[in-house]
Amino acid sequence: MANRTSAAQRPNGSTQGKICQFKLVLLGESAVGKSSLVLRFVKGQFHEYQESTIGAAFLTQTVCLDDTTVKFEIWDTAGQERYHSLAPMYYRGAQAAIVVYDITNQDTFARAKTWVKELQRQASPNIVIALAGNKQDLANKRMVEYEEAQAHAEENGLLFMETSAKTAMNVNDIFLAIAKKLPKNEQTTGPGGSGQGRRLVEGDSGAKAAGNCCK
Amino acid sequence: MDEEYDAIVLGTGLKECILSGMLSVSGKKVLHVDRNKYYGGESASICPLDELFSKFGAPPPDESYGRGRDWNVDLIPKFLMANGQLVKLLIHTGVTRYLEFKSVEGSYVYKGGKISKVPVDQKEALASDLMGMFEKRRFRNFLVYVQDYAEQDPRSWKEFDAQNQTMQELYEKFGLDKNTQDFTGHALALYRDDDYLQTAAITTIRRIKLYSDSLARYGKSPYLYPMYGLGELPQGFARLSAIYGGTYMLDKPIDEIVLGEGGRVVGVRSGNEVAKCKQVYCDPSYVPEKVHKKGRVVRCICLLDHPIPNTRDALSTQIIIPQKQLCRNSDIYISVVSFTHQVAAKGWFVAMVSTAVETDEPEMEIRPALDLLGPIKQKFVSVSDYFVPTDNGLESQIFISESFDATTHFETTCLDVLDIFKRGTGEEFDFSKIKHELGEEEQ
Repeated sequence: MANRTSAAQRPNGSTQGKICQFKLVLLGESAVGKSSLVLRFVKGQFHEYQESTIGAAFLTQTVCLDDTTVKFEIWDTAGQERYHSLAPMYYRGAQAAIVVYDITNQDTFARAKTWVKELQRQASPNIVIALAGNKQDLANKRMVEYEEAQAHAEENGLLFMETSAKTAMNVNDIFLAIAKKLPKNEQTTGPGGSGQGRRLVEGDSGAKAAGNCCK
Repeated sequence: MDEEYDAIVLGTGLKECILSGMLSVSGKKVLHVDRNKYYGGESASICPLDELFSKFGAPPPDESYGRGRDWNVDLIPKFLMANGQLVKLLIHTGVTRYLEFKSVEGSYVYKGGKISKVPVDQKEALASDLMGMFEKRRFRNFLVYVQDYAEQDPRSWKEFDAQNQTMQELYEKFGLDKNTQDFTGHALALYRDDDYLQTAAITTIRRIKLYSDSLARYGKSPYLYPMYGLGELPQGFARLSAIYGGTYMLDKPIDEIVLGEGGRVVGVRSGNEVAKCKQVYCDPSYVPEKVHKKGRVVRCICLLDHPIPNTRDALSTQIIIPQKQLCRNSDIYISVVSFTHQVAAKGWFVAMVSTAVETDEPEMEIRPALDLLGPIKQKFVSVSDYFVPTDNGLESQIFISESFDATTHFETTCLDVLDIFKRGTGEEFDFSKIKHELGEEEQ
């Protein structure tokens, strides 16, 4: 969750640059293609009849920029958006968000605008938000004009692209654009960022077992 | 909502969320509903601060409290035992990846009007002002015995039958005085009263081992606390349930639990909608006719702009006042967390005092605990009933959790959850059902 920065072990063996880890959340109406975008980005896959999100709502993928490796910890909504029951934990500490709508459905765009407002209210103030008009491959059934969405994005300081999880158009590009915009130095973790606690793992003994009570 | 489910879970308190997660993971189709528009029920953390003040009918906080959104104030005080059941559940279910924790800095026990640190190692035991010189040696021998005690190895029992002999007898075997018994039973074994003295010593041995194993994990104390408050725990398990297909609806009033033949549940009604189901899992507030009041718990939330006196400025701590110290029947607990846990604005502390109610004046009962806190900026007192179900659910298929008790950690919470799960499904929870690709984390 934290904006952890450390020396990177490059695949080619040279140790240079650094790894920055960021929490990225996806938001948007049901069935706009949130999971499809992630699956395309993380695994290069696309399923025409993607099931509602089950079983894989936490994926990671890295993007390489010059001397920095940006590792995204991607949180999918797991369907909790369906009845507007998304937990505050979801936004907590998110440093980036992609708000997705379906360009063939005006309602999903209206809903995307409210998600942007919700993020501005709930999430950390320096969160990087991207607006994605998905299903660009269905542009012949378009109900949301490119210019309209772009104007909204400009007004609100959002990145904006039309994407297609089906054809892969702009999918890597939108994650890359976010990676470029994210702050890469250690001082930039906002108040909503890392809680600076520890994660629990099995067999974790904090290396303090020796010399403790009752031994 | 008009669909058919295997189970409908009512209320998003921690117990219900763990159950919901376990049921979804086990392949059940789950609908999870809460009448409130927030997650957590009784185990929520209230944010922002204005909400807490208005909940207790107080005028809004002034600007000295900082940004309201920086506060996440728990309604019930509890810590996690680092080696306890809840941590195991968090790790095995993978829910731990949504959460971060901090160790609680220390544990104190009250004796004769002042507080002393509960000794966590031999060095601290030797320096402790809780015991005299010779008593320290006896206490050390006792701890070594408990640590070396292996249930499968009779040689470690040293001619003491812990399955049949009482704890009182074990104390006597080591010659521990009343005072040492008091802090061992209440600050290490975490009993709330003295009934344990007359029961088999093995239970207490296990509890002391849990304490020391928990302590061995992270050091300073056996307790952990989640960043952003306890309210993160139910949200984490709710997410687990959702990932496995659970459907979530908040802000949905429940008007009726619909019964069919033989008083067996067939559905849940909200307005004109009825969701059909085979089972209902819920907290006591959804079924007032199926629970009875077993007692009352008083809790006092105190907002402080300073650490607790005599705790070496600890940013988190627990203080236990053993019952005998105040001539009571149950212990009083104080738990303290602070801005370092993202539950308060910079420089602020949240102390919670709680105990089982014994008189008609619960506020008077906790007075001695409040006196230990130093100046209190704001306090909110609540007295809640402690409900237990009168229906075990086997006929009605309505499975009801108990209210949160006055214990200081989540061990009883987990036992209740595992018991309900077993009653509801007829089997123990199978952790191997959790898919490993759930995380798909590299590394």
